[in-house]
Amino acid sequence: MKHVSSDRRKCLVIIPAFNEAGAILNTVRDIEKNAPSFDYVVINDNSFDGTREILEENSINHVDLPINSGIGAAVQTGYLYASRYGYTAAIQVDGDGQHDAAFLEEMASALYESDAGMVIGSRFIEKDGFQSTGLRRVGIRFFTGLIKLLTGAKVTDPTSGMRIVGKDIIDIFAFDYPKDYPEPETAVVILKKGYKIKEIPVKMKKRETGKSSISPIRSIYYMVKVPLACILAAWG
Amino acid sequence: MSDRIVWIVAIVDLIAIIYIANLVRIKRLELKYALIWFLVGILLLIFDLSPNLLYNLTRALGISLPINMLFFLGFGFVLMIIFTQTIVISNLTRKAKRLTQEVGLLNKRIDNLVERIHIDEAKQGDLKENIKEISEEEN
Repeated sequence: MKHVSSDRRKCLVIIPAFNEAGAILNTVRDIEKNAPSFDYVVINDNSFDGTREILEENSINHVDLPINSGIGAAVQTGYLYASRYGYTAAIQVDGDGQHDAAFLEEMASALYESDAGMVIGSRFIEKDGFQSTGLRRVGIRFFTGLIKLLTGAKVTDPTSGMRIVGKDIIDIFAFDYPKDYPEPETAVVILKKGYKIKEIPVKMKKRETGKSSISPIRSIYYMVKVPLACILAAWG
Repeated sequence: MSDRIVWIVAIVDLIAIIYIANLVRIKRLELKYALIWFLVGILLLIFDLSPNLLYNLTRALGISLPINMLFFLGFGFVLMIIFTQTIVISNLTRKAKRLTQEVGLLNKRIDNLVERIHIDEAKQGDLKENIKEISEEEN
């Protein structure tokens, strides 16, 4: 077991993986190379494509969930891990290589240098890199407006998956975390609890393999569920 | 309703209530969730044995046929029962999720401990070898 004094800075990268046998090794190596000060944990959500074997053969730090539990539960397992092992910051990186590990250190120092509970990597501050597609940007703008209305705070990229959180928020997420599509909802939760959110500019790559989890049919579910979740979260 | 059907319904209803009570007794059914079924059984028995009550209630609510009143009541009960079950399912889902996460984290701790024991054993093995070699040299 790791015993670490509480004053030391310890950052954890949470990598949820469901059937990511093709990409998981690259993702982990990218983090080891570009963010060497970070620990990482892969949460294998009961994959059946050999992800587990790859993780074991390469001695990659991982937790295997015995039952497929969905993305939200997998990420929350990471926050539980961070909470129990005394991490002072945690960031989620998806197994598919859409995020750039080079930004991890930058986001961590932004978190430690500010009084914010969460730092979001925003695509829309410097308008650089992959800017998402037309209709999706309308959706993102909608959530920016909704969060402004509910909390009074401005978040330019509320759907960004690049979010690093400090110790308090780690504990909040370990206790309660949405089942799916958590980004705008958790932003509202954090702001309503009185924490600040800071945004720093990042560049995002277009995804290399696989599809967005938000297909046309799922986007209807998204646009019903997520605004409702935001409103309920603002309610208390 | 003829007397015969009244008695048939009453007997079947009583058997059902006794059956549910027995399920609770042998711990196949949680008493908490059986309560609503007892309520249904007892209300059915009351309406069955006193048709006037159902008739008066029907008239009081302005419903034209007693049978429609029955359908309405039945529908209300079914909705209520399904809703309580939705709550129960949500609870179970939450608990199953947390247990899954705990099992995953515990397995990881066990793996780490086993690995550490292997390392310790290997170290102890080396130590013994060294002691042996040293004592052999001394001899």
